[in-house]
Amino acid sequence: MGTSDKGSGLVQGTLDMLILRTLQLEPMHGYGIGVRLGQISQGVFQVNAGSLFPAFRRLERDGLITAEWRATENSRRAKYYALTPRGRASLKRQTRDWETQASAIARILHANLGEI
Amino acid sequence: MTLVRRLAGAVRALLRHDASERELDDELQAYLAHLVEQKVSTGMRADAAQRAARAEMGSLAATKDAVRAVGWESAVEALWQDVRYAARVLRRSPLFTIVAIVTLALGIGANSAIFTVVNGLVRPLPVSHPQRLALVSSRQALAEGYPAGWVYPVWQQIGARADAFDGAVAWSGVGSPERFNLAQRGEADLVNGVFVSGNFFTMLGVPALLGRTFTPGDDARGGGPDGAVAVISYGLWQRRFGGAADVIDRTIVIERAPFTIVGVTPPHFLGLEAGKSFDVAVPIGLEPLIHRARGSWIDGPGPSFLSVAVRLKPNQSFEAATGLLRQMQAGIYDAAHPDDSSYREAFLNDPFILAPLGTRSTSEARQAYERPFVTLLIIVSIVLLIACANIANLLLSRAAARHGEMCVRAALGASRWRLARQMLVESSLLAAAGALAGLLVAAWGGHALVAQLSRFRVAPVAIDAEIDWPVVAFTAATAIVTLLLFGLAPAIRAAKVAPAVGLRGPGPLLRPRSRRSPLVGRGGLVAAQVALSIFLLVAAGLFVRTFDRLASRPTGYATDRVLIANVDTSHTRPTDRAALTERLITAAARVPGVVAAAAAPSSPLSGSSFATLVEVPGAPPPNRQDPPIPLYMVTPGWFDAYGATILAGRDVSQGDRASSEAVVLVNESFARKFFPDGRAVGRSIRDAWAPEGETQRSRTIIGVVGDSIFSSARDVIPPMLYQPLTQSPFGAAPPDLSIAVRSAGSAPMAIAVSIARALADVDRELSFEFRTLEDRVNASIAQERLVAVLSAFFGVLALILAAVGLYGLTSYAAAQRRSEIGIRIALGARRSEVITLVLRRTLTVTAAGIVVGLAVAAAGTRYLRAMLYEVSPIDPVTFVGVTVLFAVVASTAAFVPARRAAIGSPLMALRAE
Repeated sequence: MGTSDKGSGLVQGTLDMLILRTLQLEPMHGYGIGVRLGQISQGVFQVNAGSLFPAFRRLERDGLITAEWRATENSRRAKYYALTPRGRASLKRQTRDWETQASAIARILHANLGEI
Repeated sequence: MTLVRRLAGAVRALLRHDASERELDDELQAYLAHLVEQKVSTGMRADAAQRAARAEMGSLAATKDAVRAVGWESAVEALWQDVRYAARVLRRSPLFTIVAIVTLALGIGANSAIFTVVNGLVRPLPVSHPQRLALVSSRQALAEGYPAGWVYPVWQQIGARADAFDGAVAWSGVGSPERFNLAQRGEADLVNGVFVSGNFFTMLGVPALLGRTFTPGDDARGGGPDGAVAVISYGLWQRRFGGAADVIDRTIVIERAPFTIVGVTPPHFLGLEAGKSFDVAVPIGLEPLIHRARGSWIDGPGPSFLSVAVRLKPNQSFEAATGLLRQMQAGIYDAAHPDDSSYREAFLNDPFILAPLGTRSTSEARQAYERPFVTLLIIVSIVLLIACANIANLLLSRAAARHGEMCVRAALGASRWRLARQMLVESSLLAAAGALAGLLVAAWGGHALVAQLSRFRVAPVAIDAEIDWPVVAFTAATAIVTLLLFGLAPAIRAAKVAPAVGLRGPGPLLRPRSRRSPLVGRGGLVAAQVALSIFLLVAAGLFVRTFDRLASRPTGYATDRVLIANVDTSHTRPTDRAALTERLITAAARVPGVVAAAAAPSSPLSGSSFATLVEVPGAPPPNRQDPPIPLYMVTPGWFDAYGATILAGRDVSQGDRASSEAVVLVNESFARKFFPDGRAVGRSIRDAWAPEGETQRSRTIIGVVGDSIFSSARDVIPPMLYQPLTQSPFGAAPPDLSIAVRSAGSAPMAIAVSIARALADVDRELSFEFRTLEDRVNASIAQERLVAVLSAFFGVLALILAAVGLYGLTSYAAAQRRSEIGIRIALGARRSEVITLVLRRTLTVTAAGIVVGLAVAAAGTRYLRAMLYEVSPIDPVTFVGVTVLFAVVASTAAFVPARRAAIGSPLMALRAE
């Protein structure tokens, strides 16, 4: 609702879904999530800290992810986020909704002029 | 569920604010470190990498702000948006907003103001463990609703057995408060006094604000180690001593005896009974000092002036404690009256009952004021209902005007809930503003109400009408109920908006009528308003007529001309008093402007009088259950001074001496009751009792006096007797004297100063106090006056609100049919036909409302019977008067907009399409 993902080029509300998706495989820390988003989208989405951290807080508040402090691969301390069962379910639902909408939008955009 | 979790999270976040801040810092630092590391690994120099990473991350503070905002963001942020939007909308139509808020403030404020008084009456006492305080009453006292009073020896015995409970206290709580005169001479300076047991304040847990309260040691005959001590109230300390810190150990003169002030009580403690406050408290043991001239109440067979309360042990029930006390009842009597068993049977036949005291269910003030104030509370809540209907109507009209806006918002994707919420937020803002303003109205109104109750009274009515949490909670609850009443319908309507209909072009004429026109709902609202207003107006009419009956009831006196000086002659010897009385009357009679002057030990409507029982030949002998007959012992000219009429026979005269034939005058009621043949003069009656060692005296009736009111303008006038003061059956002349003067003009208080000078010239040591008879008559019907004034005020308010509602309904109907009217006029319809067309509906609604209102009133007013006086609950004058008044006001309110619609230009109406 009030989220503003300025500059990331993301459609409103989709950042949360993408973060959940990145965490689907394994728990990850904030920086890692940001890097992963950039990598998977092949640099289309550059998500900065100003968008990421509020999103983490939001997801944590809604019980979709949990966090714990752990040592990183190069023995630093970082906060690792992981999906909760609710988060997993939410991701599934959001993915389904998104695909329905996206395909509908695609159909409209690719329709012949006569059909419009 | 999510809301609960969010709230919990928010609370946790608030509690561990620092911890979560630190954690956020750490996390952001870790992120930064990762970023730097990555940049270094691509070959950047460490310091450059640091700078680049910082730049890329942007402002840390802004990020933190964004994170912090998440906790409340979605719910609160959206709500805040709504609030700001609503505030903007309301600001744009200031007239509507002001009308709505003022209406609500008056409606809610009136409710809260009345509630503060009711709350003051029922609020638990400001003492420790009020729920464990039990008033020692008796079966008969509770059944007949009079205050149970005990003589001093009975209190001593209960006090001695207080171990069965958590202690016991006593105070002079029976009847009207004691009045202590603080002046040494001249005009009396009367304050409320109370006699209390030595443990009174400590057991109740009332600390001294300054100095100390009493100890059991103070409560000894003639005073304890500190002599005669007194505790004063916060009020007196402020009024009399200007709140001086060194008031302790100062001397205060009470009834011409010096007392040492040892303490000041806290401001919230007004005594144990709502409506009766005290200014000065004195230990019961010092009572003989104050009453030395009139005879002590605790030495010898005194009156039952003490209220006694016990505090229950923590797990003791009222029943168990009552049982314990009853087991002691015989022992208490025998120890209290070792030499007198004459009342033993009566005492034991009326068993003790403990009644809750802390909850004030037994308070006299509560009994006196609860019914009128609860009635007023019902009246003001009906006014509030009517006000709600008006605001709902206003909102619905606005909703109609804002239909387009709603359609656009719905079309742009606002959910139904969001639209409804928007309307609810607007309504909530109005309700909140109304409630806040209402609290101000209540703060002022509560005090004004108590002041009104105290008006004309000798001793002010002490009800603590403060704004406390219950009052705030009541106001909030009222505001919420109000909000639901007026805000729900517009919100539901907003949610039902259909964007397609609203955005389609054609105006109302061509738009398909919805099946259920909004007029139906509005018509119902207005009809309900009319019915409620009719009901209120009828109730108000009955109260006004009651008061009118009381106020215009003949008192039997020249009410507006009589000034009464209550003189205290206790400093003189009883044998000198007859001569002093004589001189005082002469002095008062000589004052310019005085037509007549006379004296008697008591005066009408003063709340106290002498009473006697008499035997009338031919009538059954009186017994103890008979009401005693009020008796005035008067000097010659007394009837003239009060403006009472002697219907037959003669006044008492100088010739009626102690040694001459005993004579008496009777009032009309007495004559009618005992001498139905109409020939009372010349017959004789006999005292039903006689002082020790004398025989009962026979008295010849020398005159019949016109009936005059005795204790209140409301009372049935009882049989009364008048005897010459010189032939007093009570032996020695009492120290109190009421000198009555009738003035030539109608403002008798104006001559009080001259009378005071004249009386002081006779005896410098005299102490006196002035009251007009009119004040006393007014005081006796102050409650009826208050109810009549307030109900009339609210009745008129209801009438105005209903008229506004009718006006609104007609305007709305006219606006809805504007095009239709335009066409009709264009086609040649006459104005009068158009007016009829517009009015028909309003008049139907009004008529329906009037019929329902009259029916409800006819069914409901019987519950008011106890508050009415010589007015029937279905008084035809009131019912017809209210109907006519309402019909006139309603037709006027509806006619104005109807006429405006009819004289409008048809072109203008059609152009609007």
